[in-house]
Amino acid sequence: MRPSTLGFATSAAARPVPTARPRAWTQFLRDVPTMAAAVALLAIVVMAVAAPVVAPYAYDRQNLEGALQGPGRAHWLGTDNYGRDVFSRVAHGARISLAVGAVAVTAEATIGALWGVVAGLYGGRLDAWMMRVVDLLIAFPALLLAILITGIFGRSLVNVILALVLTAWPGIARLVRSQVVVLREREFVEAARAAGATSGRVVRRHLLPNVVHLVIARATLDASVIILLEATLSFVGLGVQPPQPSWGLMINEAFGYLRSAPFLLAAPAVFLSLTVISLNVLGESLTVALDPRRRRSRLPGAPS
Amino acid sequence: MARYALHRIGLTVPLFLAAAFLIFMAGRLAPGDPVVIRLGDQYDEQAAQVIRRELGLDRPLLVQFGHYLAAAARFDFGESFARPGRRVGAFIADALPISLRLTALAIAAAALVGVAVGVAAAVKAGSALDRLIQIGIVVLLSVPNFVIAAVLVLVFAVRLGVLPVAGVSDARSYVLPVVVLALLPTAYVMRIVRASMMQALTEDFMRTAYSKGLARPQAVLRHALRNAALPIITQIGLSFGYALTGAFIVELIFNIPGMARVGVEAIFQRDYPVIQAVVLVYMAVFTLVNLLVDLSYAALDPRVRY
Repeated sequence: MRPSTLGFATSAAARPVPTARPRAWTQFLRDVPTMAAAVALLAIVVMAVAAPVVAPYAYDRQNLEGALQGPGRAHWLGTDNYGRDVFSRVAHGARISLAVGAVAVTAEATIGALWGVVAGLYGGRLDAWMMRVVDLLIAFPALLLAILITGIFGRSLVNVILALVLTAWPGIARLVRSQVVVLREREFVEAARAAGATSGRVVRRHLLPNVVHLVIARATLDASVIILLEATLSFVGLGVQPPQPSWGLMINEAFGYLRSAPFLLAAPAVFLSLTVISLNVLGESLTVALDPRRRRSRLPGAPS
Repeated sequence: MARYALHRIGLTVPLFLAAAFLIFMAGRLAPGDPVVIRLGDQYDEQAAQVIRRELGLDRPLLVQFGHYLAAAARFDFGESFARPGRRVGAFIADALPISLRLTALAIAAAALVGVAVGVAAAVKAGSALDRLIQIGIVVLLSVPNFVIAAVLVLVFAVRLGVLPVAGVSDARSYVLPVVVLALLPTAYVMRIVRASMMQALTEDFMRTAYSKGLARPQAVLRHALRNAALPIITQIGLSFGYALTGAFIVELIFNIPGMARVGVEAIFQRDYPVIQAVVLVYMAVFTLVNLLVDLSYAALDPRVRY
């Protein structure tokens, strides 16, 4: 490695203006809704991780004599039609919802980012074909694709994750490609190439670092869509299968007891909505905080 | 206009064909050989060959796909696996109008309410009313619609008893399903109406309209709303497509015998031809609506020319 030549390529141009970053982050950290969303999300994650510890009962422990009890001392969110503890099920449901969300988002963001980088970097016919695949998958409404996959390959958690990944990654690929197409013409990439950097090195050192913030912001928004879609699929009966708990499934089960035990609806509905709203707020704020254009507009002297 | 239309259609057709091929292939990749299932215990290689020839399964894939599409165009999707002897097209023909009617009603409601409320928010931008509308939009966009459905059923059907819990027997039974299905599109329409109206209200032609003595309501409706119409129509058109899949959940909640029931029952019974037909028909409607939205651009805005 020759630090003199490569150092020139990576120093000034490749990195974002360092003085601007703290401003955007300060704004981000001071924004009350953003922080409220972060705290809510953190609490839900803690509840999910610690579910086996905080849940007073096993999520599938039935007690038919104590079915459909209202919230009380022994079961502080009540019990469902099988006498199962609602709080224990909500906590374990958080585990499933968040785990499915985390796995699906990681996979779709990785696939989407790599697809977008390769298409954008090489351009030409390869790019055209790769983007046709993206167009095709984006043309499918997410729920329809999920129905096709779970319908043909069977109702299982793995197929649900597969469907979620398949509906989400093309969005990231399109986003990343549009950035890479611009970036690859920039001087710092040209300089790196002139210094003899391979395509792999250009991708790793110059292209990925310049799109990763966009991917993170977009993936946060995707997470809310994905968790909502998992809940929807489970609600319809195509996702998580009983007796495993999932918020969507619990809301479906609550529908049968709206007359006698409306409280069954409250806990899964509140937790699901809170998770989706928090991820949305956080994603929107991240998009603003990480957007270099908006960052620049906040510099002194620039119109805000 | 004609050239633009041709160009748009030229872009749409290959996309739809590719989607149809994907749906066709999904059926081929499905676990379980239909010939083996059909023969059951009497399976022997020779009989299997005969049936394969009869069903055209020995032909090249693209030829099979061509036959599948040609049949689908005549609304022939073959026989149901789960209910032998029943034509898949007949299920779809029964269910599709119900789903389309529900979706159309919901989109009409969303368009009416969305435009009215959105205009009000834009005209009174920054007021308490505007704030309230903005909060409403955020809530509608982030609370899952089956959660809102559950709350509405609880209040209006179970507690107050003014509306039926399920079914589509009379006009009253349409109220809750249409309201639930309209919520999300209404929020999207409100958001886009507010944004594009606020833009249009600051344009020069509005000053001209006022200075020639037009009253505010007339100026707003005749000049601003017309100029803001394009993105609004796009949003309404796109919403139609998404409401179609949204109707899936609403149909299941309210026990409406539409496409969702056909589709979900098929999934539980692993009835592949039905699943494929449901997805293909929805994909066709979806593509068609998007195409119409694009074409309406050119029809409405003389500046759009290819």
